[in-house]
Amino acid sequence: MKFVDEFRDAALGQVLAGEILAAVEPGHHYKIMEVCGGHTHSIYKYGVDDLLPANVELVHGPGCPVCVIPMGRVDDAIAMAHQPGVIFTCFGDMMRVPGSHGTLTDASAEGADIRMVYSPLDALRIAKRNPDRAVVFFAIGFETTAPSTALTLKRAKAEGVPNFFCFCNHVTIVPPLRALLESPDLRLDGFIGPGHVSTVVGARPLEFIPADYGKPVVVSGFEPVDILQSVLMLLQQLSEGRCEVENQYKRVVPYEGNLAALRVLSEVFELRPHFEWRGLGFISQSGLKLSDAYAEFDAERRYTIPNVRIADPKACQCGEVLKGVIKPFECKVFGTACTPERPIGTCMVSSEGACAAYYNYGRFAREREVV
Amino acid sequence: MMPDVDRRSELAKTEGRNHCVTCSDEAVPMRVVRIDELRDLALCQDAAGARSSVEIALVDGVRSGDTLLVHAGTALTRVEELTA
Repeated sequence: MKFVDEFRDAALGQVLAGEILAAVEPGHHYKIMEVCGGHTHSIYKYGVDDLLPANVELVHGPGCPVCVIPMGRVDDAIAMAHQPGVIFTCFGDMMRVPGSHGTLTDASAEGADIRMVYSPLDALRIAKRNPDRAVVFFAIGFETTAPSTALTLKRAKAEGVPNFFCFCNHVTIVPPLRALLESPDLRLDGFIGPGHVSTVVGARPLEFIPADYGKPVVVSGFEPVDILQSVLMLLQQLSEGRCEVENQYKRVVPYEGNLAALRVLSEVFELRPHFEWRGLGFISQSGLKLSDAYAEFDAERRYTIPNVRIADPKACQCGEVLKGVIKPFECKVFGTACTPERPIGTCMVSSEGACAAYYNYGRFAREREVV
Repeated sequence: MMPDVDRRSELAKTEGRNHCVTCSDEAVPMRVVRIDELRDLALCQDAAGARSSVEIALVDGVRSGDTLLVHAGTALTRVEELTA
């Protein structure tokens, strides 16, 4: 398909790999964080890390919305799903995220009516077809997904659908990045910036990274050639002593973002004072809730939920993985007690999660290294 | 060994869709087949030929044949021709 095939071109990838090799300073160890899980997935799927010199290390960031949902919110979701008359809808990967007493899949086996959807619009459709049931949509995701939820809520309001509710867990990308940059145990040379979040918010909100923390950022596409080119652009900034936000993904990311989407977001949502992130703890002004104008659709106002903070399982090191402090395979339970079939931590659940991506693709490369 | 069979099916699922529907930062290019102006929706088709209804309220002047970047059922932007 156009806009896809040319960015998977192996010959072009080799050329870029050669340029990257020429751009690195021998003796310097580069640590570059790819913020978003989509990049992590592509890197392992296409073996992008195998094309990089040994002294360029890619560190996986916190940009997988499934991975950052804390256990307490999963428990809240399960409590809502068990309410009489509720049809609970969510994206597929959320079904397998463990709460303190099992997953939404387990709740479904116990009799809760839980349905997987591909978009919030699907959930609204279910609500219209089942007017005598309450339909709750488990909304998760960064600024890329939030407009979809917002538009669906606007549609529900315009069409007067009284039985549609939203359990809002949308989060924003800038506060966790700032929290990461403030973290003392982190040493990074630069960031591969989120591509599709930037389609909505633009590249401008990332300018604080070079301005306040002196690290270069390149907003990147998701195909292997995109990622290689972004690594090269970061290395060029470092070698030329530049430090700025560059946009590798110009074919879809306008520097100012999508203004219509930003307007819809500010109409439907407002910032929570704080929101808990798995592994990162509470981060102020990092989560969204429904604004007062949309209060009638707010599942948290309709249902009493446990709202209890649950500590992550002791054995799980998702927190360190999300901060890029350890590699997935350095976690004590990686690939043994924690696998995609029976995940302990969220990073093993979603295909975008660093652990799942590493388990599915990267571990083979590691096995080669060990042998 | 049983776990390996499970693993393969899991991998096949991942391969088939190329992205995680949940992931907030992965959208897919889709081509517009037909527009439903009344409902502000477009029928779109992805690279694998799968069709779905897409919200087009956030992108101006969508026409049949355009390539849109679609995430969770909403078009976020039009994919532009590369100039460089």
